[in-house]
Order: sequence, then C-alpha cells, then structure tokens
Amino acid sequence: MTTTNTIGTMPPPPAADAQPLPRGTLLAAVLAVAGFQLRRLFTLPRLAIAALGVLFPAAVLMAVRKTLSGSMDGTVVVILYALIPEALCMLGLLVTMCPAVADELERGTWAHIAVRPHGRRALLLGTFLAAVAWTAAVAILALCLALAVSGMAHPWRRFPLFAALVGLSCLGRAALFALPAVIVPKRALVASVGVAIVVEYLAGFLPAVVNQLTVSLRLRSLLVQGMGWGRQMPAGMQLLIDTNPVWVQCGAVVLLAGVLLVASVLILDRRQFPPSEEG
Amino acid sequence: MLSLCHVTKLYGSVIGVNDVTVELGTGAHGLLGPNGAGKTTFLGLVTGQLRASIGEVKVFGEPPFANPRVLARIGFCPAADLTERHATPRQWVRYLVQLSGYSPAAAAVRAERALEQVGLGEAILRPLGTLSKGMRQRAKLAGAMAHEPDLLVLDEPFDGLDPLARHELVGLVRRWAVDRSLLVASHLLHEIEALKAGLVVILGGRLVASGTVGEIRDLVESLPTELRVVCDEPRRLAEKTCQSAAAESLRFEGENVLIVGTRSPQALAERIAAGALEAGIMVRELVPGDRSLEGLFGRLVHLHRGVAP
Repeated sequence: MTTTNTIGTMPPPPAADAQPLPRGTLLAAVLAVAGFQLRRLFTLPRLAIAALGVLFPAAVLMAVRKTLSGSMDGTVVVILYALIPEALCMLGLLVTMCPAVADELERGTWAHIAVRPHGRRALLLGTFLAAVAWTAAVAILALCLALAVSGMAHPWRRFPLFAALVGLSCLGRAALFALPAVIVPKRALVASVGVAIVVEYLAGFLPAVVNQLTVSLRLRSLLVQGMGWGRQMPAGMQLLIDTNPVWVQCGAVVLLAGVLLVASVLILDRRQFPPSEEG
Repeated sequence: MLSLCHVTKLYGSVIGVNDVTVELGTGAHGLLGPNGAGKTTFLGLVTGQLRASIGEVKVFGEPPFANPRVLARIGFCPAADLTERHATPRQWVRYLVQLSGYSPAAAAVRAERALEQVGLGEAILRPLGTLSKGMRQRAKLAGAMAHEPDLLVLDEPFDGLDPLARHELVGLVRRWAVDRSLLVASHLLHEIEALKAGLVVILGGRLVASGTVGEIRDLVESLPTELRVVCDEPRRLAEKTCQSAAAESLRFEGENVLIVGTRSPQALAERIAAGALEAGIMVRELVPGDRSLEGLFGRLVHLHRGVAP
C-alpha cells in the first residue's frame, strides 16, 4: 500500500533561470580542500615520519660511500633514483593519497563534504594537490640532503633532473592511487600497494606495449636520457626504456595522470556510501 | 520544496526506505521514527548523498544527486559524531563554507557569525578533539547553517546536548525555520513538537503517517488501546466492565489478568475502578496500553497495514 502525503504549501517549481547557481567555483573548493588537507598533515607524528623520509636516502648514501671506493657517480645516481623518485615518493603518496575518501568516512566528515556543490570533486582533487605538494616537498628536501652528502662531482648539476623526476613521479603515482582510493576506499592502501607492484614494477618492466602506460617506464627513460646513458646501455637493457624525446615522456605522464584523475572523479561522483559505512 | 515519488532505496538485499511517496512544502518538517527506521537513508536521498534504487527524488524541482545547483541550497548536519581532532571549530566551519563557494575572507566572517549563533563563540580556537560532544554538535550545526541554505536538513541534531543547550538550539532552529525550510529527523517526539514542525512518521523504511503533530495525535487517539487489569476475579470484573459502552473487546490472560480494548482508556479505567469497588473485587494493577513512542509507532504500523492492534 502506498500513501501520498502532502504537507504544507507546495510552491510552484521555480523557473530554471530563477534558481541560484552555485556560488563557488570548483577551483576555489579544490584549493580549500588542499589547504585543509595540508593543515591535517602538519601534526607531530606526520612531521616525524616526513623527517625520517628526508634523512633516510642521505643515510643510505653515506653508508654506500663508506663501502665503495673510487668514482661511484653512476652508482650514486641509481641509488638516488631508486630511493627518492621511486621509493620515497611511492611511500609518501601511499600515506597521503590512499586515505582520501576513507579518512573522511572514518572521521564522519564525508557527509559534510558530499553535500557541498562541488564537494566530492574538490575532495579528490584537493587531496591530490595536497598529496603531491607534501610528498614532493619531502622528496626535494631528501634530494637536497642526499646530494649534499653524495660525494659526487658537481652534485647540484643533477638537481634539475631529479627534481623533475620527483615532480613527475608524484603527479603520476598520486593519480594512480586515486583510483583505489575511490573504488575501494576502505582497502585503498592494500589495493594501492598491489597496483604499485603489478602496474609499476611488473607491467612497467615488461618489454611490451603495456609498459607504455606506466609511470616507471617514463621516469627510467628520462633518467637514462638525462644522464646520457642511452648509447652505453646493452641492447637488452634498452628494451626497458623508451627513446622518445623528453617532451613525449613528460606529456605521457601528464596525460596518464589526467585520464586517471578524470576516471577517479567520475567514479567518486557516482559513489554512494550507506550510513553504516560512515563514522 | 521536496518530493519523493514511490522511492525505494536498497542496500544489496536490505531495504533502506520502501516505496515512499511524500511531498513537503516550504516550512518546518519533522521526520520521526525509531532507530533503524530509515530516517538517515531518507535524508541521504534528500541531500543527494544517495540515489534512489526505484522512484524519483526531487528537491527544489530537481534531482539532488550529483546536482551542484540543488546542493548549493542545502545545509546538512549529519547524525554521526565529528571525529576531526585537530581543526578548530572556526577552521572547520570556514572550510565547509569555502566548499560552498565563498571566498576565504567571506567564509571566515560567516563561520564566526554561525559559531556565535550556536553559542560556540568562546571555543572557536579550541581543537575539536578537546570539545565535549555537545559542543561538537553545535559546531556541526554551525557548519550546516553558515552558508545560509534555503533548506536545512538536520539528523538527530540535539543528541548529546544538555537540556539548557537543547532548549537554546531548538529556539535557534525554530527561528531559522520562520522564513526558510527545515527538515529534522529525530526519534524523540517532543523534539519535533518543540520545533512546531509538521510530522512525517517512518518505520521499517515505510512512511506510516504524516500531518501536523495534532493530526498525528488525533490519529493515535482514535486507535483502540488496551487496559491490562490484574485482579482476583477477572471474570466477574469482565461482567461489570461489559456494561460500559467504552469497552470494545475483552480477553483473559492466565488466571488473574483481564485485557480490555477501548478507544476511551481514561473513561473505561474509571468505570473499571468503580465496578471493582462496587463488587468488592481486589484490583492489584490497572495499566494502560503502551503509550510510549514505540507503542505509538506500533499502532501506526498496525493502522497502516489495516489490522487491529
């Protein structure tokens, strides 16, 4: 049995042009979220973890310097690459990007944000910006410290290359982790680790077309090109890099990040969380 | 202002709301129902957090789900406690107002005004984690009101408040509803009564009644209720009770209990007491039927299903 119930006076539906448009722009909302998320990251435990992240590559390099002798610039560059744009950026983004939605559900703040005009999109894009800014800042500090203790000849000449690798790594990986964050928010961390292993370190090292869709191929290729190692590499190793020019590598990462972010935003726009999943 | 047309919301095989059709005009409305009745799902549909599995939801003439035009006109205070720890109420409310499209400066002004309104003016710089539940509740309310929406939706807004704070906030919300719309969900009838709001009663995901508080009370009063009489000689007392036109049904439970159905419990109780006195029957208990809100809901459900209580 269905009953129709009418209470109070029903005003005539307002004409479309009479309806107030949202007063805010998406960009303003995104910046608000980014600012709020960054403020959340400025807590003692988070700062302590970030400090560890900054110190760790330098500590490893110092240990390596004590072990190896002679010219070791190439080794140092490889270690720097493995530790900073790969490991440190990956870990930083796992911690900051994966809980984008899960944190809000846990804190009971999701409903407050989801009812705002651009709340869902702003949450994802703002968290993305905050995650990239935070992780890149930590990685750049770590890079500076590591270069300072690296013992390489002219270490600061490597800074632009590595800073670019850090930026691209953060951009691409944060977008990659946005997908698990919106699809399986409560298992985002585990899912993202899986995605990182399968996509970045398995598919990324396959000498097949599929590796063109990974950030790790682009970063490796940029490193090889930036260091001028292309011709010295054995033929087998050359299968693991892409020889296209720098702008193609950078454009590919930006395009990949854009596609992943748009997909994540569209998914989050349609996501529904039963009341039992909140709080 | 809002309409639901044959709306059903399913969570897998669990029904949140079931075939609800209702239209609410501008003004204050209370959504009343016990825990688990489907109130939060109803509000989730209205505030665009959930999409109906079947049927159509419209707010201000448009579907609210993923619709920024509608969402810009809604303020929502959810029931779940705010466990944001480090932000202060000022930061939190300003953040929400910014998400509604205001510049940081305008958001700061509105946030402070709203926090003053809810009586949190002196605690705006304390981290939310150090505030009592009642104060966090006020901060939530300020966040919902600060951007001055056309429709304010509150889910159990007075939970955790002491009686004085409850009284203050009821007054605040009532003043709000003078020229704007309000939808308040609660499981406490007196909260809705205090807001002088129209009532929508929901139970088991179904809408079982709607109207003004007076209309609902009249409806409930018109339903038969039962008196339970514990005495030494229930059959003799039943004979006396039958003489009253107010008694509509009789039955016995065990050796000493007489149950009488009536629409005039007060008059019948007086008649039973007088009859027992006359006949010298010892009455040990005379208990009216369940008049609690749960009882009210139960009787409304029976009415809705067309069966006697």
